[in-house]
Amino acid sequence: MANLRDIKKRIGSVESTRQITRTMEMVATAKIKKAQEKIEAARPYALSMMEVLGNVARYAKGAEHPLLEEHDERRRVVVIAVTSDRGLAGAFNSSILRLTENIIRDEGDAGVRVDVIAVGKKAAGYFRYRGIEPIAVYRDISDKPTFTDAKSIAAHVIGPFAAEEVDAVYVAFNRFKNVAEQKPEVHQLLPIERRVVDEAAEGSDVSAEYTFEPDAQSVLVRLLPTYVETLIFRALMESAASEHGARRTAMKSATDNASEMITTLTRSYNRARQASITNEIAEIVGGAAALED
Amino acid sequence: MERTLLCEIVTPERIVYTNEVRMVVAPTIDGEIGILPLHAPLVSPLKPGEIRVMYGDDRVEWFAISGGYVQVHEDKVIILADHAAAASQIDVERARQALKHAKDRMAELPAEDEVGVNACMADLNWCEAQLSVASKDRA
Repeated sequence: MANLRDIKKRIGSVESTRQITRTMEMVATAKIKKAQEKIEAARPYALSMMEVLGNVARYAKGAEHPLLEEHDERRRVVVIAVTSDRGLAGAFNSSILRLTENIIRDEGDAGVRVDVIAVGKKAAGYFRYRGIEPIAVYRDISDKPTFTDAKSIAAHVIGPFAAEEVDAVYVAFNRFKNVAEQKPEVHQLLPIERRVVDEAAEGSDVSAEYTFEPDAQSVLVRLLPTYVETLIFRALMESAASEHGARRTAMKSATDNASEMITTLTRSYNRARQASITNEIAEIVGGAAALED
Repeated sequence: MERTLLCEIVTPERIVYTNEVRMVVAPTIDGEIGILPLHAPLVSPLKPGEIRVMYGDDRVEWFAISGGYVQVHEDKVIILADHAAAASQIDVERARQALKHAKDRMAELPAEDEVGVNACMADLNWCEAQLSVASKDRA
């Protein structure tokens, strides 16, 4: 039979663990809200950007731009793996790493070289451990990404893609569906799909006769890189919100599990106590009976 | 009533400013332009520099921007910028330090590191735009 004192000790330790996971759950809940507000705050810029892009695309129809070009040959691709700096967030990081790993395997089978840009300590640590040196590492930004971070990441891929040193760029991140749900996804960043530009053009207000300074083509040339930067920024922000969401879910189930464990332990503690009392009574009664004889 | 323009200055992180104004002056890559109500639809890239908005009562407000785009359509001026700050919000000391930091970094960067040089150049321009706008605001 389990020792009474041992059970008591375990209950104590599980209780303090529950205290920690409960606090982490509450912190994550507060942070989700902030991260969600940031995504909301970025919406006006993204909407206006698409509007401008649509207007420009309508005038520069069929325009050539290096960022829109599909390369004939596929020799090298870059994957931006967006993870977090901290763990204890369930499958949040492992699913991104698995997705990235899949790309590396599939492209590798086709003879394509895959380079990784690691966002978050988890991705950096994982790929280094696997013997894949990331071409760039971003730490301490996953919690509160800024547009400057997104620009800096974009700079690593836009130039090389335009120079045809890189033939495709993907970003793997956790899309924030809602507070309880994150979806790991891979999006193609480069080449920019022509469909995106065409759809933006169709959505634009055809009645307005725009003037472009200096001309539509050169505005487009500047606009497309900015568009890629906003896509990366969006991925970073969604990932930040998802991280807190995933951590909240993970910590909630940890707290629930701890509570359940405490119930079970308390039950066996009471049972053990009961048993020892019964035992004592039996001994006393036995002792008294022995004296009477 | 006098016709006004709706001016919006937006960065990827937030809406910095939105108000009804009489005129907006913005630094396009071909030079400064003044935008009044009934302006023809226009799209143009912007250089790092200052945005001036003038109200009906001749009050003027300055903003520093790090470059971006302007779109004018139906008395609505949207300015999209990577960074933007109202003159009164600029932290001069911080901008000065950032400028010094950027210059130091620039000096150390090898010329082949195009990515680094461009990023550094953008920081430099942004700091200078802030400082220039801040000095005008106080003058």
